[in-house]
Amino acid sequence: MRYITTIEDHEYLIEILDDNHVSVDGVVYEVDFETLSDQPVHSLLVNGKSYEAFVSPRDAGWGVLLHGTRYILQVEDEREKRLRASLGGGPAMTGEFHLRSPMPGLVVSIPVSEGQQISTGDVLVILESMKMQNELKSPRDGTVTRLRVKPGDNVERSETILTVS
Amino acid sequence: MFNKVLIANRGEIAIRIIRACRELGIQTVAVFSDADRQALHVRYADEAYRLGPAPARDSYLRADKIIDIAKESKAGAIHPGYGFLAERADFAEACLDEGLAFIGPKPSSIAAMGDKEVARATVASSGVPVVPGTEGEGSLKDEDLLALAPQIGFPLLIKATAGGGGKGMREVNLIEEMPALLHAARREAEASFGDGNVYLEKLVEGARHIEFQILADTQGNVIHLGERECSIQRRHQKLLEEAPSPFIGNDDALRQQMGAVAVRAAQAVDYVNAGTIEFLVDKEKNYYFLEMNTRLQVEHPITEMVTGIDIVREQIRIARGRQMRLSQDEISLNGWSIECRINAEDPFNNFIPSTGRISHLIQPTGPGIRVDMGVYPGFEISPYYDSLIAKLIVKGETRGEAILRMRRALEEYKIVGVRTNIPFHQHLMDSYRFMVSQYDTRFVEERFSMQDAEEGKENLSEIAAILATLVAHQQTQRAAQFIQRGERDTSNWKWVSRWERMNR
Repeated sequence: MRYITTIEDHEYLIEILDDNHVSVDGVVYEVDFETLSDQPVHSLLVNGKSYEAFVSPRDAGWGVLLHGTRYILQVEDEREKRLRASLGGGPAMTGEFHLRSPMPGLVVSIPVSEGQQISTGDVLVILESMKMQNELKSPRDGTVTRLRVKPGDNVERSETILTVS
Repeated sequence: MFNKVLIANRGEIAIRIIRACRELGIQTVAVFSDADRQALHVRYADEAYRLGPAPARDSYLRADKIIDIAKESKAGAIHPGYGFLAERADFAEACLDEGLAFIGPKPSSIAAMGDKEVARATVASSGVPVVPGTEGEGSLKDEDLLALAPQIGFPLLIKATAGGGGKGMREVNLIEEMPALLHAARREAEASFGDGNVYLEKLVEGARHIEFQILADTQGNVIHLGERECSIQRRHQKLLEEAPSPFIGNDDALRQQMGAVAVRAAQAVDYVNAGTIEFLVDKEKNYYFLEMNTRLQVEHPITEMVTGIDIVREQIRIARGRQMRLSQDEISLNGWSIECRINAEDPFNNFIPSTGRISHLIQPTGPGIRVDMGVYPGFEISPYYDSLIAKLIVKGETRGEAILRMRRALEEYKIVGVRTNIPFHQHLMDSYRFMVSQYDTRFVEERFSMQDAEEGKENLSEIAAILATLVAHQQTQRAAQFIQRGERDTSNWKWVSRWERMNR
């Protein structure tokens, strides 16, 4: 099975040869890969070197936390890669974006209103959780089309707070 | 003298206090909210009673209910821990009125240090240097503050009189922007503390936050246990502390001088029990009194590590009316200790709090390690209380050894189920400026980034790529098997019987 794994701008061509061998850009490594006690914690022995990491799925791709550094990667097979290339690649900057609450909390204030133009980095909502006030910012430019909560509301984790389009 | 203590707190500090009581042979009473029925402090205590619903105002802040439980359970004393009711003079007073010992200072000391303006005036009158600012008590009007500002000099800080935690605080660089900032600070102070009074203080630039641990008994003996460096902060929340301070370092004269001033500040309010005097120290080693915390501090363990004194046990002894066993001459600092506060926060996403169930947990152990924590695998981290889930404390012979040990321990620490700031601490341990101790209270906010790769650090991109690919591959394979299972034309039972017949 062949995969193209992208980290920032660097692409690795990774081929899984069998249970104990992978090739990275043509170089073959002996690997021993184990998932620990059904957790997203994985142990990897590569040519005898031992690594342990958290690997978790993200919105698009994977996050690997290894020795305190987080790597964000895309893993695609050749078909997926071609498909994405034909669609223009990259995460969509058009269409609707739903701001979801990253945690349960109390809506302290909403400094934006429906119909307002916003830019990347603008504060959309201030949420209080664990005694701290947290600013949730917009990941892109757009217009606030729908507010689903008001100050004083309690929100659950993953609840949609507002929509930007 | 009491033989049973009610602990009016939760989390790691409740467990810390229960442990000290156990070692002294004292019975313990825990209290809990609906969110904490399964919490460790409830499981560890000898007795436990429900307070009420999860929000703090309905549970851990219910002073009346806590006192009732203490009386019904025949506890002779209340230990408030930190946060919640720890610095409420009215609560301490209510305990005394009901004949309960309050394991902490007198209500009058809490009140004197709780009002920042009164605290400044009180310690200043006993010769303790304070940050230059508006003097005297009472509330000054905006016009008066604007007139006083140029005398203090810019940049300066507007601070809430009833303040704490950075609320109602504003930095002013120019007099022109001051009226608007005064308005904002007053509004925020009013909302947070129900008191819109503010005062001005000169902004000490490049300041280090260094504090002294105080112990005082009822016989009038007051000693200090050396200092803690707490300059690694974010939004006025401490993240890492070390003892001794690398800034004071070998300057023992400065240490003794500041320690003596700290003792004097405590004596100025007739202090009893454990407390902390916080100082701001500028680059020229001028030090200024900042405030006094009239309670046990989160970071007390690093002082315990370098002095060998169990501060919580001393608190209980003092509250029982005993004389302190040690005099100032007998206190010495040995080795170096560092504490990392492990918070349920995502360091890669603006330190947003993270909630959820802890599914997997491996604690660092081995030489020189201490972990104070209040959670276990299966425990749910709720949004109701602060995000501190554990304190990782190490001790080494030297600062270098402590840093290397902390780095080793952080790598061992595995918490799955909630995001934690462990990667933040790992980055900090690798940071050159931290290693050479060139940091001030603004270092984390202004000159530290999780994205910065420190020079010489191994780049493990390729390993990360292999890991992600193998996990993605495993997932694809599983999904494929799941689909295929239903495609088999006959039931598994038929397959088994056919197989068995073949082998006959």
